[in-house]
Amino acid sequence: MRTVLAIAAKDLRQRLRDRSAWVIVFVAPLLISGLMALSFADSADFSAKVGVVDLDRGPAAAGLAQVMKSPELARTVQVVAYESEAAARRAVDDGKAAQVVIVVPEGFTAAVGGSGRPQPVAVLENADYPLQAQLARAVTESYVAQVNAARLSVGTAVAAGAPASSAPQLAAKAALLRMPEQVRPQGLPDDPLKVISYFGPSMGMFFVLFSIGFGARGYFAEQRQGTLDRIAAAPVGRGALLLGKSLSTFVYSLAGLGTVLIASWAAFGARWADPVAVAALCVGMSVAVVCLTALVIVVARTERQAEGLSSIVVFALVLLGGNFVFAAAGPPILRRLALYTPNGWALRGFTDLGTGVRGLPAVGVPLLAIAAFSACVAAVTVLLLRLRRTG
Amino acid sequence: MTAAVRPKETAPPAAGGVLECSGLTRRFGPRTAVDDVSLSVAPGETYGLLGPNGAGKTTTIRMVCGLLRAETGTVKVAGQPIGPAAGAVKRLVGYVPQDVALYPDLTVRENLRFFGRLYRMPRRELDRRVTEVLELIDLGSRARDRVDSLSGGMRRRLNIGAALVHSPTLLVLDEPTVGVDPQSRHAILESVSRFGEEGMAVLYTTHYMEEAERVCDRVGIIDRGRLVAEGTTRELVALVAGRDRVRLTAGGDLKAYAEACLRLPRVEAADVTGEHGEMVETVVKDGRSLLPELLDLAHQCQVPVRSVEIVEPDLETVFLHLTGTALRE
Ligand SMILES: Nc1ncnc2c1ncn2[C@@H]1O[C@H](COP(=O)(O)OP(=O)(O)OP(=O)(O)O)[C@@H](O)[C@H]1O
Ligand SMILES: [Mg+2]
Repeated sequence: MRTVLAIAAKDLRQRLRDRSAWVIVFVAPLLISGLMALSFADSADFSAKVGVVDLDRGPAAAGLAQVMKSPELARTVQVVAYESEAAARRAVDDGKAAQVVIVVPEGFTAAVGGSGRPQPVAVLENADYPLQAQLARAVTESYVAQVNAARLSVGTAVAAGAPASSAPQLAAKAALLRMPEQVRPQGLPDDPLKVISYFGPSMGMFFVLFSIGFGARGYFAEQRQGTLDRIAAAPVGRGALLLGKSLSTFVYSLAGLGTVLIASWAAFGARWADPVAVAALCVGMSVAVVCLTALVIVVARTERQAEGLSSIVVFALVLLGGNFVFAAAGPPILRRLALYTPNGWALRGFTDLGTGVRGLPAVGVPLLAIAAFSACVAAVTVLLLRLRRTG
Repeated sequence: MTAAVRPKETAPPAAGGVLECSGLTRRFGPRTAVDDVSLSVAPGETYGLLGPNGAGKTTTIRMVCGLLRAETGTVKVAGQPIGPAAGAVKRLVGYVPQDVALYPDLTVRENLRFFGRLYRMPRRELDRRVTEVLELIDLGSRARDRVDSLSGGMRRRLNIGAALVHSPTLLVLDEPTVGVDPQSRHAILESVSRFGEEGMAVLYTTHYMEEAERVCDRVGIIDRGRLVAEGTTRELVALVAGRDRVRLTAGGDLKAYAEACLRLPRVEAADVTGEHGEMVETVVKDGRSLLPELLDLAHQCQVPVRSVEIVEPDLETVFLHLTGTALRE
């Protein structure tokens, strides 16, 4: 254990002496996510394609559509009408034409008019667009609440002698009067600063992946310098060497990611629902980085190969995982491929946490996926190591 | 060399050595780098492995330190077998690699401390030993400097120091003086002599004959992977008793001349040597009396002789005598 710590401490000390390591893992991600936060500060990058299926065809349903098209939401929301729930379901599953769909049930207006209980309005979601789903849900809930409140007063108006047939129109109008400003203060992502909640972790992970290269090159540098032989001449097992090197990579990744997240929280107002879950994602990502570093070391034979290989791994993961592209803006194939990367999954977890989902529902699946990814990489590494030894 | 150095003739017997190698063999592909090498080093003894480039010195040392698996043969340190998987016994060995193996971005002290920690030394003892070693290698004033700011000679000294922190019983040095100025070289040889006096067993490789003569109690001559002779300098030189080394500096086709020399009855070995291949060295029985013949032959071979030197038998003579080739420097 003491030798493990000695090796880890020595590696970390060397990293801290390396200015480029500082720049890449700590400075660059902060700079970039800071720039992102600033550039999105006055024009919300967020947009939502909301499908509406109007099975009611009454004024109360029209009122909801109207809220969606209101000038306050016009910059963010694009409304698409669908004839049937099935068509809308297809569209939202595909995610291209609509990212979320609101289904107004038959008899919605009638219910407002007082004939029977109001039917629930359904929101069809696509898991890749949690922010859009959140927006649609908030608007719908808010509208339904307004309509319900209005129903009471309309009921009173009808009782007082207004024609019963005009009740639904009255209710819808009453609801509309107070709608849009009620939608906003729900902590929705169209608050432009919240973009940092996505880009902070995204950039943090992007640059932390670079520590794969540092770790792998460090190993081959030791081989070239002959210090690896010196370590091997000491009573240090291969296991202790491996653990020490992994530990330093782990600590380094965790420190890098943690610093970026804390800074985006403190300086740029990034918010996630659940600090424990955030920490769990950071730990998961750092474990994945350790496994990938080991894989690169086993596959490569020289320092240069290690450098090239780790660059390929980093860029592949970053492109597939969506660290460059706002996941929602990418093509669907990219979103599917993101599910093969640890960073893609972590990003999904951070997005959920950023929109207020807490605990296991937000990070359970991403953590499992990251663990599975790390386990696969570790298994391949061990297999290659075995083959190398016998070969 | 100071008077404190023990005379070589009183070398301790090799039996019951700290290091016992027997039948070490290692091939790399078709090439046999080390071929059936057996040697032992007693406590307080400095054993020199003398051989030219590619003789198999480093390969032997790597097997001794458990960095390389021997195909056949065994290495025992203090009676325990050593190998890549061996743990505790490695604590007894200090390994000084042929090329400087240090962390350039760490300081002198940090390097020493790190290598000490690998041997699980208690903190206080580690601090004490690091200070001692810094003094020993005369780098106390540079302890806080990064290794990449040191001169080549200082790095060489630190390279040795890093193997001393844990106070090994057996110190293995692989050509520690290569590329070092005469002053640093003197200092290194001086401290190697001292290690022996302090009771450490030392295995020292070199291709410099004078170094082997100067610091080693016993010398093993290794060539093309084989240990061709072993003994104290005096014993080895006795192998060539009555012979002289004649060194002839000349121009022309020296290779042809060396071959012609070999055909003379009392010439036992002849090889072209010198920095620019401007010399022919021969091992000759009673060199003085054969000198006219050698010069005559030079004339016949149209080799203009610039100088002739008759050298008393030394390890160089032994090497040339045993292997037929000169130890190049
Ligand atoms: N890892 C290796 N792979 C292939 N061949 C090797 C390897 N290591 C050594 N050799 C070969 O084994 C032979 C002995 O090499 P070694 O390094 O032991 O010589 P040496 O006596 O230390 O030489 P030098 O004085 O140049 O350091 C050489 O022919 C060398 O090419
Ligand atoms: Mg060598």
